Amino acid sequence: MLELRDLVLKSGADPISHTFAGGRITVVLGRNHSGKTLLCRVLAGLAEPAAGGMFLEGRSLAGVGPGPRPVALVYQAFVNYPDWTVFQNIASPMVAAGETKAAIDVRVRDIASRLGLTALLDRYPAALSGGQQQRLAIGRALAKSARLLVMDEPLVNLDFKLRESLQLELAQLLHDLDLAVVYTSSDPRDAFAVGDDLVLMADHGVLQSGEPLEVYAAPVSPAAADLMCDPRANRLPDGAGLIRPEHLSLARGAEDDRLFDIEVIGCETNGSETFLHCRPDGLSEDDHWVARLEGLVRLAPGDRQTLFAPADNVLRFVNPDGNLSEAYDARG
Amino acid sequence: MRGASSKMAIWVLGLYGLYLAAPVYWLLRLALQSNQAILSGERDFTLANFAEIFSNPVWYQGFANSLTYVAINTVISVSVALPAAYAFSRYRFLGDRHLFFWLLSNRMAPPAVFLLPFFQLYSAVGLFDTPLAVALAHCLFTVPLSVWILEGFMSAVPRSLDEMARIDGHSLPYFFFRIFLPTIRGGIGVTVFFCFMFSWVELLLARTLTGSEAKPIVVVMTRTVSASGIDWGVLAAAGVLTILPGLAVVWFVRRHLVKGFALGRVS
Repeated sequence: MLELRDLVLKSGADPISHTFAGGRITVVLGRNHSGKTLLCRVLAGLAEPAAGGMFLEGRSLAGVGPGPRPVALVYQAFVNYPDWTVFQNIASPMVAAGETKAAIDVRVRDIASRLGLTALLDRYPAALSGGQQQRLAIGRALAKSARLLVMDEPLVNLDFKLRESLQLELAQLLHDLDLAVVYTSSDPRDAFAVGDDLVLMADHGVLQSGEPLEVYAAPVSPAAADLMCDPRANRLPDGAGLIRPEHLSLARGAEDDRLFDIEVIGCETNGSETFLHCRPDGLSEDDHWVARLEGLVRLAPGDRQTLFAPADNVLRFVNPDGNLSEAYDARG
Repeated sequence: MRGASSKMAIWVLGLYGLYLAAPVYWLLRLALQSNQAILSGERDFTLANFAEIFSNPVWYQGFANSLTYVAINTVISVSVALPAAYAFSRYRFLGDRHLFFWLLSNRMAPPAVFLLPFFQLYSAVGLFDTPLAVALAHCLFTVPLSVWILEGFMSAVPRSLDEMARIDGHSLPYFFFRIFLPTIRGGIGVTVFFCFMFSWVELLLARTLTGSEAKPIVVVMTRTVSASGIDWGVLAAAGVLTILPGLAVVWFVRRHLVKGFALGRVS
């Protein structure tokens, strides 16, 4: 659907070649300042790439302004026209395109009913809840009849509970549209919850892309592994590999498990999960591990324990470019 | 403890309110008495002073002249300042910050500096003694002020609103008039208020740039001294009437004024 050919977002960054497929949601995962927002702006035509080209269904987008470009954008802050009603907001792109009043009316009501905004058509954005405002912004994007929908961290400003319920609702809604969707996020959970495809971004370039599970199971570099990890990935004492916090446990699972003798630093728990902060023997003094253990675990600082990890889950990087120290510097 | 301090606050505020209202009360009281009663201290009630103003063409013409040039000034200032403020708020260009500050520096010179040049210029081009002359002269002060106030309001509107409109396919003029201006109408109200107030009470330029035809109310008021002394009653009545347009403007922008002072940079 949308093909990026050697697209350079910012001079000095690695060129990006990637194809966003129609009918699929691509989650672009990256930390702050990794270039996600710039990618969104470039896709929407609000910013110019430093080099390279974009081709939507084979046609180049070079020189096509944001208005005529068949790309819609949803911002992370809910941008709606404050002095226009919900109806007028949704109708806005169609009014700009000069469509007839009757056609606009039918289309707006259709979009509103799909987004659950029918009862609110006469209200102003200020009278809507956060979730409704975001749905309105999405509604306006849908009204543009774009081929590509770009969403820049669309749920980041919503509270935690609302976020979870909207996440699934949004995934459902977006799948029903025959659009290519680009969805940026800094939360690895979004990748699994809404993503059909995943692109990992760092330093305005792409680290890895593929299906979320694939990327999770086989990261190509420590930086890629770290991005898909919450909290961070733990570095092995020998410095040549990573182990994810969720793969460590206090019980042996299989005969060939790797063993790590650790000293407990502290525990954080919410009842269903415990984050165990610890230091395995041989790890440098300024680094430590986090293990994500199930259930309520109580260990006192200074206790000694043995942690087990399935051998398959110890990530080793054969790629000589995958410099480990770099991954840790990027973590901040 | 809390009750005592709030009682105290009410007293202090009450006294302050009284202090503020006293001159207005005094003005109103004088306006409703005849000159003789004022001077002798007798009690009296008359509407003759107001009747004098509404029947004497010198007086009501003065009001009409003032309102004319104030209206012209406000319209010119706001319509010139809106695009200028938008440019300062949204675009980066060579010397933008300096130009912006230079605008403000126009207000550093006292109006008297411009008096003679304006007088000569207007006499030469035949603008002397017209409401337009005063309105244009006042623009020198109200346009920079308007640009500053409006820029503050515009910069408080996120740029993503502009971008959203571009993505929707709206042209810049359509966005500016249909989406952007309604969003900052509070700021426009505050700007109108400041332009109005400056122009309405300004005396020096208004007096110098007018003769007999376009004489503004502030000037007429300075001429209540006659051979028979000062006509206190009529002067006070004119004073009461000059407060009214200001009150009306405040009334119309009152809701935006508070929000306006908070959002705009002028304090």
